[in-house]
Amino acid sequence: MTTARIDATHRARGRSPQRRVPLRPARRIIPYLFLGTLVVYFLTPIWWLFVASTKNVTGLFDGSAGALWFDKTFALGANLSELFTYDGGIYLRWLGNSLFYALVGGLGATVLAVLAGYGFAKYRIWGRNFFFALLLGSVMVPLTALVIPTFVLLSGLKLTDTIWAVILPSLLNPFGVYLMQVYTADAVPDELLDAARVDGAGEFRTFFRVALPQLRPAFITVMLLSVVASWNNYFLPLAMLSNTNLFPITVGLGLWQGQASANNSGGHSLWGLIIVGSLVSVIPLVIAFLSMQRYWRGGLAVGALK
Amino acid sequence: MKKSRVAAAFSAVAIAAGLAACSGGGGTSSGTGAAGTSPKLTNCTNKMMNGAPQVSVWAWYPNMATVVDNFNKAHTDVQVCWTNAGQGGDEYTKVQTAISAGKGLPDVVMLEADHLSSYEIQNALVDISKYGADKVKGNFSAGAWKDVSQGSAVYAAPVDGGPMALIYRTDIFAKYGITTPPATWAEYEADAQKVKDAGGPVFGDLGSNVPAVMMALQIQKGATPFAYDLSKPKDLTVNLADQPSKDVLDYWAGLVKKGLVGKEDQFTTDYISGVVSGKYATYVSAAWAPGYLTGAGVGKGASSGVWAVAPLPQWDPSNPVSVNWGGSAFAVTSQATDKALAAEVALGLYADPASLDDGWKTQTIFPLNQSVLTSDAFINNKSAFFNGQTANKDVYIPAENAYKGMVYAPITVYYYAQLQAELVKINAGQISGADAATELQANILKYAKGQGFTVTG
Amino acid sequence: MSHGSALSATSQPSRTGSQGPAGRGGSLRRRSATGWLFIAPFAVVYLLFLVAPLAYAFYLSLFSKGLATGTIFAGLGNYATAFTDPAFLSGVWFVLKFAVVLIPVQMAISLAVALVLDAITTRFARFARLMVFLPYAIPAVIGALMWGFLYSPTFGPLQQLFNVFGGQAPFLLGPSHVFGGLMNVVIWQWAGYYMIIIYAALQGIDTSIYEAARIDGASSWQLAFRIKVPLVSSALVLILVFALIGTLQFFTEPQILRLVSNGTITPEFTPNIYAYTQAFSYANFNYASAISFALGIVVFIAVYVFLFFTRKRGSFLS
Repeated sequence: MTTARIDATHRARGRSPQRRVPLRPARRIIPYLFLGTLVVYFLTPIWWLFVASTKNVTGLFDGSAGALWFDKTFALGANLSELFTYDGGIYLRWLGNSLFYALVGGLGATVLAVLAGYGFAKYRIWGRNFFFALLLGSVMVPLTALVIPTFVLLSGLKLTDTIWAVILPSLLNPFGVYLMQVYTADAVPDELLDAARVDGAGEFRTFFRVALPQLRPAFITVMLLSVVASWNNYFLPLAMLSNTNLFPITVGLGLWQGQASANNSGGHSLWGLIIVGSLVSVIPLVIAFLSMQRYWRGGLAVGALK
Repeated sequence: MKKSRVAAAFSAVAIAAGLAACSGGGGTSSGTGAAGTSPKLTNCTNKMMNGAPQVSVWAWYPNMATVVDNFNKAHTDVQVCWTNAGQGGDEYTKVQTAISAGKGLPDVVMLEADHLSSYEIQNALVDISKYGADKVKGNFSAGAWKDVSQGSAVYAAPVDGGPMALIYRTDIFAKYGITTPPATWAEYEADAQKVKDAGGPVFGDLGSNVPAVMMALQIQKGATPFAYDLSKPKDLTVNLADQPSKDVLDYWAGLVKKGLVGKEDQFTTDYISGVVSGKYATYVSAAWAPGYLTGAGVGKGASSGVWAVAPLPQWDPSNPVSVNWGGSAFAVTSQATDKALAAEVALGLYADPASLDDGWKTQTIFPLNQSVLTSDAFINNKSAFFNGQTANKDVYIPAENAYKGMVYAPITVYYYAQLQAELVKINAGQISGADAATELQANILKYAKGQGFTVTG
Repeated sequence: MSHGSALSATSQPSRTGSQGPAGRGGSLRRRSATGWLFIAPFAVVYLLFLVAPLAYAFYLSLFSKGLATGTIFAGLGNYATAFTDPAFLSGVWFVLKFAVVLIPVQMAISLAVALVLDAITTRFARFARLMVFLPYAIPAVIGALMWGFLYSPTFGPLQQLFNVFGGQAPFLLGPSHVFGGLMNVVIWQWAGYYMIIIYAALQGIDTSIYEAARIDGASSWQLAFRIKVPLVSSALVLILVFALIGTLQFFTEPQILRLVSNGTITPEFTPNIYAYTQAFSYANFNYASAISFALGIVVFIAVYVFLFFTRKRGSFLS
């Protein structure tokens, strides 16, 4: 099984698209139509978000241009400057908080996953099968079901409504450990580790100098998955935080939505800010994904191949 | 005992883990500045005027920034640190969470009268009668004072009320030949039918997300949903299926069935858009509504100069009853560090003439302070939203003066959620008003018993 | 570190077995203790934020606390209440129905896209791949907010389309359409992620298999369904597990869309929303814990049973 997997991965790397058999022209149009339809479907909401961000409140709710096209006034600049100054610039703070939680939580979860994955993959530890089965089982525990008891536990420690209440629980990523275990078992040959040890390197030195460099694609994949999970998290910070200065962007926009729904906007409607705020908040992750796709696609294949 | 030991062990390891994670994530120090652990009082929307001790406040009044600045400018002994923690339900969830967690409440919190007893029973609010509340009692009407007190104990300082009235569109009324606004609910239905028969818009709206309106309308017909007295905190009388309650629900269910009123939730963008475009001929609402509607863009452009207000229709015009929707007060929480100072803020914030003027002139609040209610400027004010109508003198002040106060149970959040569910069913045509009342009664009885109350009803 | 090198000095390669990934080479000289040192940081987090909350949820669920009473021991009373509570059961019933309908549709779409993208490698295909995946990078909160606007009966594009013909568009969050309305949001949000997992697995297949099949006269359809799909079955099992877990704990989308659903989405719409409402709106943490715990157990058992029956094909757990 192990060898087969390694072979598959290696061959996949050497595969070239030119070796594919081309489709006959008549059949070509159907897949393109299919893809084209899907692209339109997946892009429509994002297009709407962009178009709506350029409208002022009147254009948004009473505009004549329709939901999917630009209004007469192009208010993107005005919306942005209001977004960044509204309520003392709290939006920027939320954006900063989101980045902070995502990077610290994501990186922390990844570091733990890499270490544990390596431990499971390369050591014959006592009770390995039992604990690994337990780990896999816990992939199935719905993490949101943990939020309420975690809240009660943390409130007993007076840790709710602090950054720790958001960061600490997001360090838990059993699937990341599973992914790292699978990848490490394949990508780090035991011979390489043994050679390093023969040269007198200690266990941790071996890990950092020999194993870690081999794990880069998986590291980036797990990192991205963890960062996305933290970045998108809503339930956990919603439950844990009441100090608006600690909110991540998701909970912050939810707060605005609640206020806007009650028309409590002090004379100017919040909806425009919610929309342009959504647009801005989407940008960092999209850039991260687009710029790093080379790494994470390779890493995802590992988890899927097992 | 056991609980705290588990927590302590958890604490030690959690902190260790936190430190480990911290050193592990040392490479990403860039974000640290944005989200350090902040003590309560750095979380202020407003700027301080001086270095006096601070009192934290949650409030959602639209003109709160002005109100806070007015207060802080006038005080050298205390400064308010204000946050908008959400309006209504959003804030109440946060308040409840902070009560459960034993931390996170501000020193002073804005609450509507219907939620006070829910927090009083959890010992989350401080009796401020000894901290100066008794001295300002004379500034308020008996009904307003009853809403914030339990016997001699006072749990909040009243700011604004929500005497209810009938807001209507003069353009639609004129178009369909309604010369005088309906004075009774029977006339309301007849007028609605008249407009519908002429092909006009719906007359009003039964929004499921405003259960407080339905409760008030039931009380107007003589319903007594609850009896509750904090001096006997475990005794609760639940009376949600009496004849008036059923009648009012049936009345509205009938309007819905006949297509005379809409079934949309209120305050949503869709609803507001409908209000602007003339989808509804009337809006059964409270005195603060014009301010919020203005904030949402109603009364400008196409819908300017078309609004007017009349007294709330009655069941028995010879014996009119005045009811209230919303209106808020400032309560001091038991988590406040300096309760006397917090009480000074609760009683003084939004009590100065400048703030009150700012509030009522934009019609975002209907002040309860008699100094405003009896002032010429207030009485004779010509409302811009109502196209120059002297709405205070004609409608709102008489309504407020006739208001006798209402009794709320300490399970308001649950009760509203259940009432809302029944309204959804009525709007969907699944249930009659009377059956909805019966179902609600059974539901609330069961819940109240489950909460350990000795329930009558 | 010195401890580690001391361990490696006592190597006995002759005794290594051949079973498992750690079986080759000189693994035995690496003793359990060092391995556990690598696992320890994760194990601590695991204990604190998975085992402890689960145990504590169970502990809390054995008590009940009313507004007018103190905390009293209730035994399994909360569970008895939960499994006869129509609000909880209707939520469970909804997410089960939702899973049964949603997951096959979602997987079919993801699989179809992945197969098409695997078969054509033009620039447009690469562009399409990114665009289909893009919603994954958008927080579910924001996705739900956007769809809330798009569903608006007043200014949503659907209604504007119907306006052209003078019709009334269906309100996709109304009682009779909310199922489809939510399904659409979830598919939009997650199909791209599942597609990428399948696509990555497809890319890992050795192409010489295809050529052999082509020589044997297999059509593109046969190639896709006879060869490619079975070879990525473990990826399919994996995403099925994810989708199942995600659906059973459905929270964010209905919670956000609640405000614009005109009352269709109730505070007990899904078990998770119900637990949240019980805990944070009604301060009923004991009952909420019972619901959370019961939900966790139900999901765990459901997924395990599922994996047990698909064990032979996938290898996620075997």
